[in-house]
Amino acid sequence: MRRRQLTALVRKDLRLELRTRETIVAMVLFAIVMLAILQFGFGTRDDDLTRFTGGLMWVTLAFTAVLGVGRSYVAEREQRVLDGLLVSPVPRVVLLGAKAIAIFLYMTAVEIIVIPLVGIFFVKGPYWDSIGWIAIAALLANLCIALSGTLFSGLALFTRARDLILPVLFLPALVPVVIAGAGATHAVVGGAHDMSEWRGYCLFLAAYAILFALVSIATYDAVFDD
Amino acid sequence: MTDSPARIPGERAAMIWGVLATILVVAATIGVFLVAPEDADQGVIQRIFYFHVAIAITSLVAFAVSCVAGILYLRTRNDRWDDVGEASIRIGLLMSVLVVITGSIWAKASWGTWWVWSDPRLVTYLIVVLIYAAYFVLRSSAEDDRKMRYSAIYAIAGFASVPLSFYSVRVAESFVHPVVFTGSGANMPDSMLIWFVVSQAAMLALFIALLELDLVGRRSERALRRLALRLENA
Repeated sequence: MRRRQLTALVRKDLRLELRTRETIVAMVLFAIVMLAILQFGFGTRDDDLTRFTGGLMWVTLAFTAVLGVGRSYVAEREQRVLDGLLVSPVPRVVLLGAKAIAIFLYMTAVEIIVIPLVGIFFVKGPYWDSIGWIAIAALLANLCIALSGTLFSGLALFTRARDLILPVLFLPALVPVVIAGAGATHAVVGGAHDMSEWRGYCLFLAAYAILFALVSIATYDAVFDD
Repeated sequence: MTDSPARIPGERAAMIWGVLATILVVAATIGVFLVAPEDADQGVIQRIFYFHVAIAITSLVAFAVSCVAGILYLRTRNDRWDDVGEASIRIGLLMSVLVVITGSIWAKASWGTWWVWSDPRLVTYLIVVLIYAAYFVLRSSAEDDRKMRYSAIYAIAGFASVPLSFYSVRVAESFVHPVVFTGSGANMPDSMLIWFVVSQAAMLALFIALLELDLVGRRSERALRRLALRLENA
């Protein structure tokens, strides 16, 4: 029963996205603009920014995540879908799960473009041989972003100035994810194969995801308790 | 005439804690600056440690209290817990800012620079300040029941983020920060430890006193509003 509700809700989000192509296209464009801005922001036309790869990638992805998470409840709010969902016999935790899966998929779609692009733009040393390790760290980070993002966007949803509130709430909580994502990337890029460091950061990301999953499950009922 | 506000509940407790906190803070200040021995290695600046660490620990206690108050609010929906949560975070945030400032002063004196990104504790506290500052932004933009509910949820999520920020900056470990408390006990002589304990007690008493005072303030405000309403209706 719950699984059918969950798949139905995720499919609703994905179908909406496939029809309008609003969120993912905007997220990808935003990420590319961010990468360009960061390059110019360094004030150098140095071609090899291998040392900063992790930072460039994860600063971009963190801001893109804020954009995507901010969009994630727009349809529900504007078309009053949320009212319908909340009176339907769907447990709140299923709503949480479905939204988290949708955000996870959006982020993964963005990363499929952004992660190779970072390699092309900034790295002149070895990159492609460690892309699998970067991808694993990115998937774990997406889990963190999806879980904390769902919780914070739920909180921001009915506040005044919600577009302003979400980044203020969400970005400080994302700092550990950026640190770990950038650290894990840095550990494997440019010929460095520091697997013990990579493993440490990945374990940290897993712990973050578990902790936020627990907090979300414990508090999500109260988010939509109107 | 039960709510004639001759004495606000908690007023006495606030007074007692206030007096206790004053005595302890004075004792700690005298002890730290005049009695405790000078650190052979760092000299006079090491004395900032007694307050820096005590305030840091107290701020974590304040955030823990706000998390528990958040859980209790969500369970009971009693406004009282919202008051406790907000007051704790207000005091905890103030103390975290003090931790960053005293830490920065200590950094300047011992490493010659106001800010060191490689020092995990200083960076952690910066993140903690950002997390809890956002609490007030959230509070100011939601209303009534929602405000209390969201605040409670955020206090819980915020407290979950504290250990995460703590560990995230430590995965790549740095050894710059003086580590005083290790797994095998305190790394200082008893003549220093005793003044640390006093100043820790002083900060905790100060936290409780400020919390009680804040709650009394809120209660008297409510009592006043009730009184005004009654006078209007009379």
